[in-house]
Amino acid sequence: MQEVSLLPTFDFSEVFSTASGAIFQSDSERCWYVDFAGKLARFDYRNLLKLKKAVYQVDIEQKLLSNDKSPDVEILFICASDHCYVLSLLQVIALKELLQGTFVMLELNHIICDRLYRIVA
Amino acid sequence: MKDIIRAKCLISSDVEALINQQIKKEAHSSAIYLSMASWCNRNGYDFSSEYFFKQAEEERMHQLKFYKYVLDMGGTAISPEITNIKIEYNSFREVFEEALDQEVSVTQSIKNIAARCHKEQDYVTLEFLNWFFKEQREEEYKARRALELFDVIGEEGTGRWQIDKHVGQIKYDSEP
Ligand SMILES: [Fe+2]
Ligand SMILES: [Fe+2]
Repeated sequence: MQEVSLLPTFDFSEVFSTASGAIFQSDSERCWYVDFAGKLARFDYRNLLKLKKAVYQVDIEQKLLSNDKSPDVEILFICASDHCYVLSLLQVIALKELLQGTFVMLELNHIICDRLYRIVA
Repeated sequence: MKDIIRAKCLISSDVEALINQQIKKEAHSSAIYLSMASWCNRNGYDFSSEYFFKQAEEERMHQLKFYKYVLDMGGTAISPEITNIKIEYNSFREVFEEALDQEVSVTQSIKNIAARCHKEQDYVTLEFLNWFFKEQREEEYKARRALELFDVIGEEGTGRWQIDKHVGQIKYDSEP
């Protein structure tokens, strides 16, 4: 008997993951899916860079040292994107780690693509 | 896995950030020259004022050249905020001393971008920067020549009037 797959085929590849989340790339859609803080959000090239910028801009050290009474939440609003994150400081640190790893892996992938497919030896 | 980022943008994020810094530097230069043009005009140095107006326009052109390069390569060009432009100078000579300082710092900062490009083997941006290296040769030459007029002519008597007249005639034509 032939197996018929009713599920749509996804071409997700995991780029990087940590205990708190993961980022996948979809080659056909040319975008990334960020699985973090209980949701899966789609980011295109521009928006992924905006997310990276927003996360890297949070002054974690200053937030840790400050002892004012403001609540421990960071709102990351990505301009012209459907997503917004409301995160605790610990989650910001976790997301930063996830993004750092992701960009290292994307850089590595760039080198691999160069070596394997682009440069004719 | 596809290399999506490379397909979207030719320059690396580091080179992009350095060029955005340079865009700010050129805008800053332009604003400084404009301020120098104002000071020279107020103090009766018409030729120098004219010279600095022209320099201000050139710097603006440099800024746009970098700006468009970043966009053409798929990057994000950032329109800079320029503040703290000084209005008063202590002397006619000081204006030209600062003009030379400014040009030297611009040359150094473009060299710094080139160093990064070498490291990344970004030959495309290196080739683009060559135009600026040639330009800086001229810019530094002119700024240095202007300052030398102060020693050659001297500031006594009608010296400053003479210097001002000669500033308008400085040309660099060692090579087109
Ligand atoms: Fe310039
Ligand atoms: Fe210049």
